[in-house]
Amino acid sequence: MSLITKLWLSIAAVLLLAFGGSLIVGLSTSRHYIEQEVRIKNEDNANALALSMSQLDKDPVTIELLLSAQFDTGHYQRIELRDPQGNLILRREASPFIGDVPAWFVNLARITVPAGNAVVQDNWRQYGTLTLQSQHSYAYRSLWRSSQQLVTWFAFAALISMLIAWLLVLQVRRPLSAVIAQANDIGNRRFTTSPEPKTRELRDLVMAMNRLSGSVRQMLTRESAQLEELRRKLQQDETTGIANRAYFMTRLEYMLESDEELHHGCLALVRVTDLEGLNEGMGRPETDRLLHDLATTLHQFALEYPGSQAGRLNGSDFALLVPNDLSSDDVAHQLKRRLHPIADRQPVLLNLPIGIVDISRHESRDVLLSRLDGELAKAERRGGRTVCVADQKANHLLFSTHAEWRSALETALAHGVQLASYPVMDAIGNLLHDECPSRLWLAGEWRPAGVYLGWISRFGMDDALDLASITSALHCLEKSETPLALNLSSRAISSTGFRQRLIELLRAYPREAKRLWLELPESVAIHHMEDFKSLCHDLRRFECRIGLEHVGQQFTRLADLQDSGLSYLKFDTSLTRGVDHQPAQQTLLRGMATLSHSLGILAIAEGVSTPEEHRVLIELGMDGVTGTAVNSADQESHD
Amino acid sequence: MARPLASPTFRRQRRQLLMGLGSLLTGACLGLSPQVAAAPDPARLRQVMQSRFGAEGTAALNDWLALIDRLQPLGIAAQLRGVNDFFNQRIRWLDDRAIWQQEDYWATPLETLGKGDGDCEDFTIAKYITLMQLGIPIERLRLIYVRASIGRGGLSQAHMVLGYYQLPGAEPQVLDNLVETIQPASERIDLTPVFSFNSNGLWAGGSSRSRADPVQRLSRWRSVLARMQEQGFL
Repeated sequence: MSLITKLWLSIAAVLLLAFGGSLIVGLSTSRHYIEQEVRIKNEDNANALALSMSQLDKDPVTIELLLSAQFDTGHYQRIELRDPQGNLILRREASPFIGDVPAWFVNLARITVPAGNAVVQDNWRQYGTLTLQSQHSYAYRSLWRSSQQLVTWFAFAALISMLIAWLLVLQVRRPLSAVIAQANDIGNRRFTTSPEPKTRELRDLVMAMNRLSGSVRQMLTRESAQLEELRRKLQQDETTGIANRAYFMTRLEYMLESDEELHHGCLALVRVTDLEGLNEGMGRPETDRLLHDLATTLHQFALEYPGSQAGRLNGSDFALLVPNDLSSDDVAHQLKRRLHPIADRQPVLLNLPIGIVDISRHESRDVLLSRLDGELAKAERRGGRTVCVADQKANHLLFSTHAEWRSALETALAHGVQLASYPVMDAIGNLLHDECPSRLWLAGEWRPAGVYLGWISRFGMDDALDLASITSALHCLEKSETPLALNLSSRAISSTGFRQRLIELLRAYPREAKRLWLELPESVAIHHMEDFKSLCHDLRRFECRIGLEHVGQQFTRLADLQDSGLSYLKFDTSLTRGVDHQPAQQTLLRGMATLSHSLGILAIAEGVSTPEEHRVLIELGMDGVTGTAVNSADQESHD
Repeated sequence: MARPLASPTFRRQRRQLLMGLGSLLTGACLGLSPQVAAAPDPARLRQVMQSRFGAEGTAALNDWLALIDRLQPLGIAAQLRGVNDFFNQRIRWLDDRAIWQQEDYWATPLETLGKGDGDCEDFTIAKYITLMQLGIPIERLRLIYVRASIGRGGLSQAHMVLGYYQLPGAEPQVLDNLVETIQPASERIDLTPVFSFNSNGLWAGGSSRSRADPVQRLSRWRSVLARMQEQGFL
């Protein structure tokens, strides 16, 4: 029985007890009082009448007149006179009047009053015995009335008390269910905090639970800060704070391999010539400041174009990868505009040759880098701040104008989305879910996401694409038991229209929704944290799983997300690539996996390319892996 | 008496419920106490007498108890005579104002014996109770208000005597403190009866016998009966 029910019942019991008690005491007191009054009246009137009769002649007519007069003018039920032998001399009797009182009540409150007796003297002898009984049935009526009034009053009191109780219960129930929700969250390893209620006992409880959540959060923050430190050492250049060579190269390689990330783009290499000379001429701190300014500017540039990446390849070389959006000439122009003012500010003349090449999907990294070196060498030879851009290769683009792209994409979306399928396997080789990037029918072929994603976001069609993909996935889930994972875009999660339609969609497929895994890039979740949290909150009741992909860069911020109900993390290729011969990377991943597990979150490694990596990642505690190493093993059934 | 009593089931239920509700309601339960047996309680009488009137009173009380023992086996005429003589000889007539400093006070036999004084009501009550103790049916005994003409001048005075009715409709024997011997009513031409009463029927209906019944204190007759009950007569 719930606490609330118990409270209701005890209130009802107390009320009933009070009511019953008052009714019984009230009734029996009134009844007793009435009995007493009527008895006194019976006795007194009998004596008075007998006294009068004793004084008179015992003429039968006189006696009868006297008795009748008393009976007729008084309130009597019966007056009778019997002689000493018990024979009836005279009797007057009225029928008992009860009125509109129910019989059961009369039986319940039956009033018993003895008749009054007195002896009439005839000189010394006894003439007879007078018995007198007053009318008392009116008493039932007044008892009935007062009972009715009592019942009415108690009904009213009950109503008021129930109302008060209801308010009290309401006041307790709201914080109570908040506490229950928080306890459930903690049980599910979401260390949420909740507002402190006014009720003292509950407040102590909530405070204690908030303290628990707070200390877990602190611990998480500390742990993840340590991991972040480790990662920074691994992936960042110490002087400038941007990605180091290893990280940049891994990323570049992954971009080139992936169908989903990149279709075309460009790669720029910026060289600070004669670093040694600068060091001597300007001094070390000034030189470092210059490098730092350049790196920051490039990083800023990269942030403005999603998917871009800046990195420092060695002491004097900075690289910038810009996928999709900008042409090489645009990049050249932008770099000039941004970097040359920095060079101008330096006290010595600074050469800043820049080489830029176009890149396209599935190009070899080494070939690309040698082409880039060639362009840079050309720029260096020309001297000064020359920017060399490789000759534009044949246009890979499917359509040449915006209008064509727009209409093609609209047609394709209306046509429907096809889902590709890349398996994610767990530690013992079972299928965890299939990752399903979208494919659109463009120019007579199903094209991978890298081809059109840039255009989709340029036209603001991300949410339409996401909805179309989810619809396709739900249809697939109707037929198959395998859980499917889909990407959501940043625009989608911040759009209320999208969320509304997503909820409607999931409501229409409640069974399928439980096998739907939705994932967002880590950066999106971090930059739109409020939207992300509210999306998680809205989707929780559908029991679909929500996770982050490409996790690594901002792992330290995940402590802020732990209470949103994440169920899995996919760690970025830059962390997993080559992990089998990188002890520092292993330490980092082990820490991340452990931290994830302590929050009840699955840890999955992305971009696993070799069986060795696979083995090591599982040993490090990863719950799942995905990538080419897994795809090939699973090829037959899934491609 | 003419009406049926409340159904026993209802009473029992009510009692159980009231008991359950606790001391608040004990007053209501008192109304249901069983009838007290109408027998004298010598121990209690002695105790009350001792505390109120001391050794002298106790001696008088012992005499009274001895009288009852002595008269018990005798016939009615002897009993009437014995009782009448006992009180007429032993108790001195005095006005209530002299004895009790009150206009009119109905004393119990214990008080009368203890004081050794009494007025006409006290004599009559004492005789009535004593005869009752001897087993004479109550309905044969009546206390009678009479108008007495005293002396040759025929001065009228309110007076009370005890009448013994062999039969309800018959002429009574009169036990009077003004006259030593018991005489039939018809020979007492100095007395004119006005009204008579006894305790018959007073206790009908059960609850009226309770000592806690406040109504008893309101009437002189009921009050003296209640006091006698307390002192151990009834």
